[in-house]
Amino acid sequence: MSYIKIDKDKCKSCYLCMETCPKNLIKKSNIIGKTGEYVVEFQDNNNQCLGCTQCAIVCPEIAITEVYR
Amino acid sequence: MQVYSVPKSIKENSTFTFCPGCDHGVAIKLVAEVLDELNLRENAIAIASSGCSVLLYDFLDVDCIEAPHGRACAVATGVKRAHRALKNDKFVFTYQGDGDFASIGLAESMHSALRGENITAICINNTNYGMTGGQLGPTTVMGQVTATSPLGRNRQYHGFPIKTAEHIALCEGVSFCSRVALYNVKNIINAKAQIKKAFEYQQQGLGFSFVEILSTCPTNWKLSPSEAHKKIEEEISKIYPLGIFKDIKND
Repeated sequence: MSYIKIDKDKCKSCYLCMETCPKNLIKKSNIIGKTGEYVVEFQDNNNQCLGCTQCAIVCPEIAITEVYR
Repeated sequence: MQVYSVPKSIKENSTFTFCPGCDHGVAIKLVAEVLDELNLRENAIAIASSGCSVLLYDFLDVDCIEAPHGRACAVATGVKRAHRALKNDKFVFTYQGDGDFASIGLAESMHSALRGENITAICINNTNYGMTGGQLGPTTVMGQVTATSPLGRNRQYHGFPIKTAEHIALCEGVSFCSRVALYNVKNIINAKAQIKKAFEYQQQGLGFSFVEILSTCPTNWKLSPSEAHKKIEEEISKIYPLGIFKDIKND
């Protein structure tokens, strides 16, 4: 089972990971981050994550700290 | 099995202080990953410049020197030659913005390339002076509106932009020169390969190696991070074509 870990304190709500995820598993949460916008969270209820690391590669804030496959 | 972790060359618990969506974060991450892969962290000296790129030494866990504005390549020359004279060769690279490398420090950069100094320069090209509020820079493209060109860059008043990588590639002392972008995963992986190649060429003592990275500046372009990436893909990378302009091993 693949999953990622997001450090919500580092997220600046640029949403580049949301657009990159091929399975659309990264969504806006209802937590407001330091830029005044909603930070992202990982929602994978059907174990769809591939562990492709694309979200971690595009994240400019190293907010996606770990990916497991 | 863990397939991704934060590079070890990035300081623990550091948070990037760039604007949301800025490609500087990705560029620093790529440099850190390459330093890890080539096991250079203990032997490397980074030269930071003025501009947003100065923040490098807050995040990168290597020895850093802050150069005066534009003089990063000159400082790198001194550091490299001094260590070579002491028989204690170090890996020296600069991390500069386009204003620092191609405008204020053009003489230092160009002459380092002409002399074929055995250093690596990384130039982040975001087509304006980002830190001071988005003024017109040497790489601002024709028609681009900035704080000091409210009607867009025009030929009569501002002249033409500089194509840094093409100019550096003309210098005989250059071993490797390329331009990369960071607007999607494919390009980011390619950029990492080019940075790695530039670093390896310095390790092999082949001469000046240079990578220009097309970066976004969402704050000063007044676009969202994804719109800024689209602008790089559709407009900027047409004006500044991506690719390798010089590679002495393949030429």
